[in-house]
Amino acid sequence: MRIDSGPIPAIRHAEVSAARAADITGQRGASGRRLYDGGVVQLDDTYLGRLRRRDPEALRSVVDEQGRRLYRAARGMGYSQNEAEDLVQDVFVTFIESIDRFEGRAQVGTWLFGILHHKSQERRRTVVREEVHDPIDQVFESQFDARGSWIRPPTAPDQDVRAQEVGQAIQDCLAGLSPIQREVFQLRQVEELSAAEVCKICGHTITHIGVLFHRARMKLRDCLEGKGWGRSR
Amino acid sequence: MMTCHDVSTLVSTAGLPDAPFLRKLGVHMHLAMCRHCRAFRRQVETIARAARAAGLAFERELPQDFESRIVQRLRPHGEGV
Repeated sequence: MRIDSGPIPAIRHAEVSAARAADITGQRGASGRRLYDGGVVQLDDTYLGRLRRRDPEALRSVVDEQGRRLYRAARGMGYSQNEAEDLVQDVFVTFIESIDRFEGRAQVGTWLFGILHHKSQERRRTVVREEVHDPIDQVFESQFDARGSWIRPPTAPDQDVRAQEVGQAIQDCLAGLSPIQREVFQLRQVEELSAAEVCKICGHTITHIGVLFHRARMKLRDCLEGKGWGRSR
Repeated sequence: MMTCHDVSTLVSTAGLPDAPFLRKLGVHMHLAMCRHCRAFRRQVETIARAARAAGLAFERELPQDFESRIVQRLRPHGEGV
């Protein structure tokens, strides 16, 4: 996409593999290369100026790049369709209203997901905290003997289990996660943000993000095993 | 020698990319030898694929004018786009 007074240059390709980019967005730049903003692409001063002036093409560009990702994350975090749409609109309104504080050094994806995190906490009227202990920790630990070997070895899901079938099953299982586990899972697993990016968004340490991701995955594993990994057996 | 507990925890926390070289090597060697931990890794990979499939299903819910409506709201005084 181009805009009147030059390319949207705004977007610098950095440190990201084409494969990862292709997974996340369907956007293509003027060069035909996919544009990616998994929190890595930054806005330059010209583009920032256009956003500050609410230039329609610049607004359209950032909404095109990020809108569906934010919606997907909001839905994954447990909001209904209407709530998620409304939440994403709110995120962009706050982004534009607070753009003078955005200096372009931060990554736009991280900035927007940070706003989503705060808006979500406002809506839930609570600061989401994680308990020191979670019952899933005991479930996980109980699967190993004193030497650290499996007591009940895991069974790999069948090769022919279709992702779509498990995808439907996982939507039910997500409800068993705490809000912060759900959010970390969405950002790490679905949006493929790095642990460092998720730290900035949620305000936890890298170690704690790892623990939350682990708990989320183990709860989903437990739930999916109970459902025969999405298939009736 | 890394245990199944060590390896599965590193796989599940996604801590492997940041682990020191020798630890990464230990994980790879363990996975080469341990079919139970390979099965565990496949479970984690299946969860990842399922989560992405669920994300795509969410996207399909969106109306075509989703982005236009947001841009409309961002324009000063509700100007057209």
